[in-house]
Amino acid sequence: MTAQPEIAIEFDHVSYRLAEGRELLSDLSLAIYRGEIFMLLGRSGSGKTTTLKLINRLLEPSSGEVRVEAKSTMAWDPIRLRRRVGYAIQEVGLFPHYSVAKNVGLIPMLEGWPRERTDGRVGEVLNLVGLSPETFLKRYPHQLSGGQRQRVGLARALAADPPILLMDEPFGALDPLSRVELQTEFQQLQQRLGKTVVFVTHDVGEALLLGSRIALMENGRMLSVQTPKEFLNSQDPKTKAYVDAFSASHRVLEDGR
Amino acid sequence: MNRRTFLSGAVALALTSCMPKRKGVAIGTKNFTEQLLLGEILAQTIEHTVPVSVERRFYLAGSYICHQAILAGRVDMYVEYTGTALTAILKQPPISNRSEVFSIVKNQYQQRFGLEVLPSLGFDNSFAMVMRGEDAERLKLRTLSDLSSVAPRMRMGVGYEFSERPDGYPGLVKTYSLQFAEPPRIMDLGLLYRALQSKQVDIVAGSNTDGLIAALGLIVLEDDKHYFPPYEAVPIVRPQALQADPRIRAGLERLTGKISAEDMRHLNYAVDGQKQDPVQVVEQYLREHKILPS
Amino acid sequence: MNFFHFIARHRAEVLTLTAEHLWLVSISMLLAVGIGVPLGIVLTRKPGWKAIILGTNNVIQTIPSLALFGLLLPLPWLGVRADRLTITALTLYALLPIVRNTFTGISGIEAPVREAALGMGLDSRQILWHVELPLAMPVILAGVRVATVITIGVATIAAAIGAGGLGEFIFRGLAMVDNNVILAGAIPAALMALIADGILGLLQSLLQRPRH
Repeated sequence: MTAQPEIAIEFDHVSYRLAEGRELLSDLSLAIYRGEIFMLLGRSGSGKTTTLKLINRLLEPSSGEVRVEAKSTMAWDPIRLRRRVGYAIQEVGLFPHYSVAKNVGLIPMLEGWPRERTDGRVGEVLNLVGLSPETFLKRYPHQLSGGQRQRVGLARALAADPPILLMDEPFGALDPLSRVELQTEFQQLQQRLGKTVVFVTHDVGEALLLGSRIALMENGRMLSVQTPKEFLNSQDPKTKAYVDAFSASHRVLEDGR
Repeated sequence: MNRRTFLSGAVALALTSCMPKRKGVAIGTKNFTEQLLLGEILAQTIEHTVPVSVERRFYLAGSYICHQAILAGRVDMYVEYTGTALTAILKQPPISNRSEVFSIVKNQYQQRFGLEVLPSLGFDNSFAMVMRGEDAERLKLRTLSDLSSVAPRMRMGVGYEFSERPDGYPGLVKTYSLQFAEPPRIMDLGLLYRALQSKQVDIVAGSNTDGLIAALGLIVLEDDKHYFPPYEAVPIVRPQALQADPRIRAGLERLTGKISAEDMRHLNYAVDGQKQDPVQVVEQYLREHKILPS
Repeated sequence: MNFFHFIARHRAEVLTLTAEHLWLVSISMLLAVGIGVPLGIVLTRKPGWKAIILGTNNVIQTIPSLALFGLLLPLPWLGVRADRLTITALTLYALLPIVRNTFTGISGIEAPVREAALGMGLDSRQILWHVELPLAMPVILAGVRVATVITIGVATIAAAIGAGGLGEFIFRGLAMVDNNVILAGAIPAALMALIADGILGLLQSLLQRPRH
């Protein structure tokens, strides 16, 4: 008998409206299960980043309810909520005046962890993201490459070992080689850690590669939620459009051989 | 910026704010000749009475600044005029009675500022009505009351301030029933004595200790009805300075009543008119009056 | 007389007046930073107040310093003592560069850094301490530097209302028509400003670790 998968995050008829009335998200309802990598796929302006930010209460719903670990985000203390939800964004946002060690160890320190535990965890999590602590602990953000910065951002998000991870196009600004490198490593990492990940992307390939389920979004609405296999074989015209675009960009490989 | 740098910076800044204790005695003066001479008199008297270093903080621009300086302890003493102390510093209305003014100033300075007011050095620097010496002799004029009979035949010269102040010209003519033929000629203070000398005017409103009074053989008519408020020259002193050494008070007390208006006029003229060095003028004066050994 | 001879003979006085000057400047700067930096921080939280606070500061700065001293004179308690008055006026003058630079420095922090800090779960006090103040520090320090040099200069005028300091030499020298005395006030004041500017500039460059 298979156990009912536990719901980590739930959207219950959530809408988000701006002050001037424009609606960025309309009546969104979905459930994200523990341990899955849930992809939010769509063009710019489709509402995927808005959806992400409603989870860690950087935004608050205009109507409906967002529940994290069965509790409404509005009932959570925002600080406690954000400490349980790791957050990694495209520009990374490392603190330029802190070393890598200080950046990564900041939340553990603020959580009151003893020094040795923090130091140990920082080393551990840097190894997890593929950075050797001896080399990188004392470096500053301006001394890192784009890929290294992204890894440190991920390490920082993982430092306090949060059960949920939010990622907003984290690999989008990297060169293709670094991007694939990090995608592959992330996949392996997730297999080890089993965190609940909500991942925003506009790259179909990334969604297909990493996602356990893909939610297609357009104009503030969720069009569908499918597994990668269902996505590839879907007859829905919007989904097909994405798949075709993906194939088109990869046709060059087939033709070239 | 870490905590340590910030704290050490703040401590360094706070240290610079600690004022070092001043040694010796500091004397202040306002920025006109008579004050400089008086300051020099106080300084040399103290220097020869007590083995203490005397700092001369002269040329302070006015009563307010001197008052601030002595309140803050930047100077230990300066010479003020009782009338000025009463109206400008204590902000009281002017009074004519000399001893009343002195006691009000003495008591109020003690109560409000904790400062001691020593007795007058011996002269009054109030407004003075000045005439040519030979005229006064000829007309047998000694007091302002004597003036009422001859006023219609005289012309007066005044500075702008004297003409406007209620305790200046208007009050003067009222108190002494003076009926001058014409209204007074208003002119620059510096030109008053020249006009008097060249007979453009016959009587001017000057100050009691103006140097030119002695030099030009002029005389001051006595204010017998005590119309002009008194401006006695009194040393204002910080008690801390007096407590530091009892010889300081003794030295200052030797000057009480020693300097007459006539003396002051001569001293003023020596510096303003004859361009002598104030330090030497004072030294000579003090020797003559046996305050300094000859 | 040679100027250096003059300084040597009167060095006790020069030191006294320099100490007085330093005292006026130090207290005022401590107050200005203590009031100005929090005020700048408040402005970043309540941008609606910008017009009033920066506007008022601007008006104060436009008033010529001697006039400001004169305007404060008739006030009760404040106008009674020249040093109180002077420190008030100096603090008011130093406020604008500090408030403005604190505001600009904090506002100028890059959005991703701020967003990451928020998303990590830093509360507003922690954001102030770990992100805003450290990153804004070079700009704030630039404001402090400007304010300090201004304060040292305006403090020379304070002697005109009886607060002491190096300005007393300058006014005395003008009354005596003696250049040595004027310079005995002007040169130490200028040196003080240069040294303060140099020290703060050094501090600025030490903090300006390359960040990009």
